[in-house]
Amino acid sequence: MTGKPYNSKSGVLLQVDNLRLNFHTYAGEVKALDGVTFTVKEDEVLGLVGESGCGKSVTALAIVRLLPENAYVAEGKILLEGQNLLNISQNEMRKIRAHKIAMVFQDPTTFLNPVLTIGEQLEEVVLLTTPDRLTRVTTASEQSGDLGSGNEKWIKRREDATRPQTSPELPRSERKKAASVDVLKQVRLPDPLRTLGQYPHELSGGMRQRCMIAMALVRNPILFIADEITTALDVTVQAQILELLRELKHKLIGSTLLITHDLGVVAELCDRVAVMYAGNIVEIAEVNELFAKPLHPYTQGLMRAIPIVGRPLERLETIQGSVPDLIHPPSGCRFHPRCPFVFEKCRVEKPQLLDAGEEHKVACHLYGEKNHDANCT
Amino acid sequence: MEKKIMTQTVLEVKDLKKWFPISGGLLGRVGGFVKAVDGVNIEIKEGETFGLVGESGSGKTTVARCIIGLLEPTAGQIIFRGQDITKLKGMPLTRTRRRLGIVFQDPYASLDPRQTIKSALTEPMTYHKIVASEEDALRVAKNLIQRVGLNEDHLYRFPHEFSGGQRQRIAVARALTTSPEVMILDEPTSFLDVSVQAQILNLLSDLQDELNLTYLFISHNLSVIEHVSDRVGVMYLGATMETADKDTIYRRPEHPYTHALISALPIPNPALKRERAVLSGDIPSPVNIPSGCRFRTRCSYSTGYCAEKEPLLSARDLGHAVSCHYNLRLSSPIPLTEPAYKT
Repeated sequence: MTGKPYNSKSGVLLQVDNLRLNFHTYAGEVKALDGVTFTVKEDEVLGLVGESGCGKSVTALAIVRLLPENAYVAEGKILLEGQNLLNISQNEMRKIRAHKIAMVFQDPTTFLNPVLTIGEQLEEVVLLTTPDRLTRVTTASEQSGDLGSGNEKWIKRREDATRPQTSPELPRSERKKAASVDVLKQVRLPDPLRTLGQYPHELSGGMRQRCMIAMALVRNPILFIADEITTALDVTVQAQILELLRELKHKLIGSTLLITHDLGVVAELCDRVAVMYAGNIVEIAEVNELFAKPLHPYTQGLMRAIPIVGRPLERLETIQGSVPDLIHPPSGCRFHPRCPFVFEKCRVEKPQLLDAGEEHKVACHLYGEKNHDANCT
Repeated sequence: MEKKIMTQTVLEVKDLKKWFPISGGLLGRVGGFVKAVDGVNIEIKEGETFGLVGESGSGKTTVARCIIGLLEPTAGQIIFRGQDITKLKGMPLTRTRRRLGIVFQDPYASLDPRQTIKSALTEPMTYHKIVASEEDALRVAKNLIQRVGLNEDHLYRFPHEFSGGQRQRIAVARALTTSPEVMILDEPTSFLDVSVQAQILNLLSDLQDELNLTYLFISHNLSVIEHVSDRVGVMYLGATMETADKDTIYRRPEHPYTHALISALPIPNPALKRERAVLSGDIPSPVNIPSGCRFRTRCSYSTGYCAEKEPLLSARDLGHAVSCHYNLRLSSPIPLTEPAYKT
């Protein structure tokens, strides 16, 4: 898979290629992302896991181009359906955010406007997707004869969506309302009509997060980015949201990039997992493979360091030290100061993400070509 | 782990209630109460770790604050070594407080940013007149800072020079300065990353063995509670729902809330397929607690009787108490298979 160019038949939706991203700060340059490379395939859930400060959220923000002002991309490409999102204008990017990528964040309270009702906020988004607008898009592309693969799929997805068609004779406001109620039903809010008239503070955390998901869903995005969406919620409410995502997966949501630090959530929802450490992807594998056979010392350490219900342990194994300062990141492999298997090459040379099995890549010198036979039995 | 002999009760919380008045309006009339803690019963034995688990807003932290004396309970008793400490005042209270240590959740807020670590560690000792002189205090502080895995140089630094994990180590050292018998650990790892969390959990377990401490470990993280505890108490909306030893809580719970809580926990094992009991709705407001059983609004087994009468926390087996009218037969919320990745 390495270095394979994008083609629409390969089923790759999003390709992040060697993304390097720095932050200007008074203390110095924070080298937040150091050559991040991964792909999100069509109709899959890719989990992005790592501890806080490893660059998970920054990667997501780079994809939607909502980075803070002091951040800049030094190198790399972000290809959505083959189009580099880093080269297009703000205006085009706005359209992509409106129709193709939807993102939901950790804390729903911050992202809902406290002085507008849920209905007002949701209808604003619904405006983008009302049926008359949809027909206009269809006819426009038909007339121009430009039925690109991406566009076609996008329109098809809209038709597939199991929402009852509101008749076009109804007034516009009624149609907006009907569509809003509909999407709130899909996220299993108990009383959608009442919720439309309520302000965010009247809702519980779980309900607010459902509203955020509804706003994302109503656009029928081809890529759904979920950044720690269950972290702020209680276990029982988290279970409800996970249940909802599982239900919506493959039905309304196309591909999902699920960002989390919780390996439990990963195991529940993801098809493939990418593990991040200090701005690098250290390992990518299919979910069962990763949990059964983690290769990178960091992934192994992480799995041994968490207490798991049903796995009684006398002591937890620890990863010594703490996450490095990214203004002065360690040379070579960024994990080497904490790695139990460190050897000379690790201090000098940065390991590349290489194949270590079917659909399993790891960035570690232990599995390099020379040492491959010695260490992988 | 060698079998600990846990017989003597060190700390007992009986029917603890803490209601916060809601006052408002022109005359500041009390319009109602936030019943943060509304009937908590726990019993902690010598040398054990008692895990107190519950979702946010269930009143776990309020219980901790009542025990340590930072809040005055509305009703109920807190019996420490046979003495009700809720009635204490003045010197006897100070002397009792010395024997209880606390580590708070947020190590960024619990250390004074303008105080050196040395001062943070020696101040409690001089205040409680535990040491004879400044030199003695410094000697003890040096000893403690090494015990928690830092070194002497760190004594002369300020909190901002430390990472979250290191700060929490300092907070643990500070709690130990008065040689407490019971340590109250209020979510000590929830601010930390998983790799650092493991270090702190191991440190706490070492200290417990060395110093023969009794822990009240409060957390919302069910996996951490299972790892550290000998016995567990489950709280919901200010009251204890079930208390039992760890294995009973996790494998054979009898309260429907405990069952749902544990089955809701995502387990890091993709090969595992299990049926989960997903609770509907959210925790009701602690201002308007449902009549009868407070869990009935989300319980799939509730009947008319549940709305009428509040169940009492009553013993089922030895050391197993459940607050439910019915004797439900619930399946094990976690499958008994091995996790995918073994160490």
